[in-house]
Amino acid sequence: MSLSVQERARAIATFRFVEVRLMEIAAAWTPTTPEMEAKVLFGRHIWDFAQHADALGRRTFELRSPEQFSLSPAQPFVELLAEAVKVRSTADRLAALYEALLPEMEERYRDYLRRTDALVDAPSCVILERILDDYARQRRDADRLRREIGLPAAPVAEELRRRGSSIQTIVAGPA
Amino acid sequence: MTEIGFLEVGGLKLREAPARDECFRLVLTDSEMETLEGTGELARKESVHRHMSNEITSLDIAAQCLVEFPDAPWGLRMELARQCWDESRHVAGLARRLVEMGGYKGEFPISVFEWSITCAIDNLAGRLAAQNRTFEAGAMDVVGGNITALREAGDRATADLLEAILADEIQHVRFANRWLKKMAQEDRRVLLKLAMAIRWVSQVNAAVAVLGSGRTELTGSAAPAVNVEDRRLAEFSDEEIGEILKQAGFRSLVAEQPATGP
Repeated sequence: MSLSVQERARAIATFRFVEVRLMEIAAAWTPTTPEMEAKVLFGRHIWDFAQHADALGRRTFELRSPEQFSLSPAQPFVELLAEAVKVRSTADRLAALYEALLPEMEERYRDYLRRTDALVDAPSCVILERILDDYARQRRDADRLRREIGLPAAPVAEELRRRGSSIQTIVAGPA
Repeated sequence: MTEIGFLEVGGLKLREAPARDECFRLVLTDSEMETLEGTGELARKESVHRHMSNEITSLDIAAQCLVEFPDAPWGLRMELARQCWDESRHVAGLARRLVEMGGYKGEFPISVFEWSITCAIDNLAGRLAAQNRTFEAGAMDVVGGNITALREAGDRATADLLEAILADEIQHVRFANRWLKKMAQEDRRVLLKLAMAIRWVSQVNAAVAVLGSGRTELTGSAAPAVNVEDRRLAEFSDEEIGEILKQAGFRSLVAEQPATGP
């Protein structure tokens, strides 16, 4: 069975929360990361995440919620985001964001696309498909940077992904 | 999350420096920078290196505003996020140009003074007043003059790059002007925050000048020409432009011929 309007609104508002948080994570790391090239990467992606959040926030209004409405995800996912932002080294940061959080959200978005009605909810689908395209570009950008400045592989991604995959749904239940 | 703390300089509480590549030699004051006169090869390289460093600092400041003011209106956060992208493109463009000129990252000393002043301010209106309306607007004056000098020296590539950067900077000053007006209309107490921010910038400039930095407010012939056209595009009022011209040493001219122009 497809999602109801209310379920779509809750999911999209949750996705918006996460995109805002991704913007803030990249922003928080910008002044505290020494490598100029990494700052440049984060600067570009801060704007990507902001645009994702903005598009999702416009969509919440179309789904009978306030414009730019965000819904906090399920607590384990909030904790995962809070854990990710704490990593210190540039290699860990790139791994946490591009090898753990983005793939994690990719799966959540693909799951939503599978479950929603692609016709009646086409505006949500278009937004999510564009975000997935951006994620692919962002991950390529990060890969290129890693090679350019010679960053080692970081095991932090695996741990974060393991924790992420244990969270069944990131959309919190209605209050 | 890594926090950037504060430090005391000349009795003033400034923000500690943001992270920089190890190759950079970070200095506190302008007097420690290598300022080279003219438009010779080395001077142009130093200028591109300095612009690149300033753009990194602007990126850091805009990003930090996103982090430290999560309750700011979404429209304003979008502007700051866009500014992050713009500044990051400027850094990349200037880094590319520096290499084309035979230079390299870390070749000259750098300063993060604007970060230290701006990010010591505890409210977003004050930071926009200091960084976007004061430092970036001042940079519009400097860059406008640089472009002319570079063209005269035959360095078209650098001039074209700075011209593209200048167009973006106008928008950064303009959105700050727009949002500050809106914020002040909604809450008159914002005006006090703006006044305090500007006073803070002056205080720090004065304190650092005492420390022997030479970073004092330039006036008269030593100051860059006021970029009236771009300040108008950035939506400074004629009254404000007139005041800036007065401060730049054109008081008598402004009194007779206001900046409103034909």
